[in-house]
Amino acid sequence: MSARARMALGVLLIAALMAPLVPLALWSVARGWFYPQILPATWTLEPWMRAFAARSDIPGALMTTTCIALAAAALALALGIPAGRALGLYRFRGKALVELALLAPVIVPGIAVGLGVHGVFLRLGLTNSALGVVLVHLVPTLPYVVFVMSGVFANYDAEAEAQARSLGARPLQVLWHVMLPAIAPGVMVAGLFAFLVSWSQYILTLTIGGGRVVTLPLLLYAQAGAGRNDQAGVLAMLSLAPGLVILALVARQLAGRGMSIGGTR
Amino acid sequence: MKRMMAGLGGALILAGGLAHAQEGDALLDMSWDEIVETARGGEVNVFMWGGADNINAYVSDYIGGQLEDDYDITLNRVPLTDTAEAVNIVLGEVEAGAAEGAVDMIWINGENFRTMKQGDLAWCGYVDKLPNADLVNFDNPAIANDFGTPVEGCEVPWSRVQFAFANDTARTPEPPRSIPELIDWAEANPGRFTYPAPPDFTGAAFVRHVFTHVAGGADALIGPFDQAKFDEVAEETWEILNDLEPHLWREGRTYPTSITQLQQMFANQEVDLFFTYDPAEVGTAVANGIFPETMQSYGLSDGTLANTNYMVIPVNAANKAAALVTQNLLLSGEAQLEKAQPEVWGAATVIEPDRASKEVQAGFAALERHPSVVSIEELGQAALPELTPDWTSKIEDGWIENVGN
Repeated sequence: MSARARMALGVLLIAALMAPLVPLALWSVARGWFYPQILPATWTLEPWMRAFAARSDIPGALMTTTCIALAAAALALALGIPAGRALGLYRFRGKALVELALLAPVIVPGIAVGLGVHGVFLRLGLTNSALGVVLVHLVPTLPYVVFVMSGVFANYDAEAEAQARSLGARPLQVLWHVMLPAIAPGVMVAGLFAFLVSWSQYILTLTIGGGRVVTLPLLLYAQAGAGRNDQAGVLAMLSLAPGLVILALVARQLAGRGMSIGGTR
Repeated sequence: MKRMMAGLGGALILAGGLAHAQEGDALLDMSWDEIVETARGGEVNVFMWGGADNINAYVSDYIGGQLEDDYDITLNRVPLTDTAEAVNIVLGEVEAGAAEGAVDMIWINGENFRTMKQGDLAWCGYVDKLPNADLVNFDNPAIANDFGTPVEGCEVPWSRVQFAFANDTARTPEPPRSIPELIDWAEANPGRFTYPAPPDFTGAAFVRHVFTHVAGGADALIGPFDQAKFDEVAEETWEILNDLEPHLWREGRTYPTSITQLQQMFANQEVDLFFTYDPAEVGTAVANGIFPETMQSYGLSDGTLANTNYMVIPVNAANKAAALVTQNLLLSGEAQLEKAQPEVWGAATVIEPDRASKEVQAGFAALERHPSVVSIEELGQAALPELTPDWTSKIEDGWIENVGN
């Protein structure tokens, strides 16, 4: 494909992805925008000013959402990388069953998982706390991490580790200098997935957090449910931000080295 | 990881050790001053529908600010999209034996209150401890009964609302003013009217208006559920609503699912009539640019349903003393007056203003309402009492089976 055609295709793709978001962006700066107006009649920054006013819930919720998503992603990586390595590198009895079990939380509706986990967490004293929310976010995030990482490890040559050991490297050195550089792009993809999946959780956060752990999706649902399209527009823009920022920051990395090991499925 | 495990262990010990931290009975033996001292420096978690900025700001800023300044109490307002979520949290906690509940207060009425009262989830018998309870006339049947369920000291009233219709005078200068007129109007203006499908709260209330009209007035339906009466009235009600169906928005093949959707449809000029259980919301929507300035709200000539909403304290609330102080503050003449200000909320009060201070009385006398909101006095001249949950749930189920199918 010529460079020009690739460019055109890229622009088209971006436009198709962005077009549905334009009304949300417009709503966030509109005061009343209804049929038959094509564009809002009155423009205002008021929804944004309200969002960042002194008593607003939004700055706190942004902070909470970020911290929870970072913690959930880190924990999911810590658990998912070893699991992915086992699934990607080794054949063992019952492997298909393990894979199915790992995928199950993605198939079962979140509300069913949430209600079941709620009873258990209540007894453990984990409800209504950010810690409980981080832990419950592992349910939807872990499958993504495990499957991305098992794909990465399926294409990973463990012989390199043997070579390093034969040259005298200690286990931690092998991990740091051989395995991590090879799987880094995959780890990044898995971590991003986990971050974004955690970032957008609603029902699990509400059930386990008991409404006390207020994240952006909780505020977004409340405003959208109340018909406040302007406030919902602001919250939607804020919810989109990390995805766009992260994508812009790591796009080069994903396209470059990620493909060379063919590890991102 | 180590720290996390330590935190986990700590949480476990906490949950076990604090099993009976604050007993309600001990509070009831205290004087009001002692209760206030117990509450000082604590927190209160108020779970309430969180869809209106002005209501949120009133609770967080005005009430929360005073609790902070006067009692050093931190108010955490937890926004809900559906009050049943909070009831379910309490139910789950009580079933799991958690004595230290997360919920200290819920904004509630109707079926949710009945669920809490029947399930022994509501804390009762504390109302005469509140000094400001003297401002309320608990003998008024509209306050003593929450959708026909006797309150019996298990919740404290907060606001009164009454169903009203609304129209844009620029689009529809002559809106229908009774149920028969409305049916004729809908037939003459095909596709310009619809109502949210029950079990939506407001949609179900609209259906109850038709039901009450067929029954010949609310008086015919007062009292315990009567199956023979229901069958007779229901048959004719479903007939009227089924005959109306082809004249509704999208020929009645589908109904909006929420009052919010009806609000957006009205704003987008898809329908020409709106209704709400809280006319103050019409003023708020005009102020927010959702409805035009030419909007007006009005009652029906044969009356509209009215109800009271309340604050309930769950039986396992962890901060009962702080919850009592909060309820007392909510009932104060000043707080009720602030809530009634049109730019704050415009909510009708539950206190008798003449029992409050001279300043508060003068404030209520001087209240000016939003021009789009029908006056409480005008609406209140024809207020119909709400039916008991037995009636309302049978009507909802009947609509779903016979009309919404």
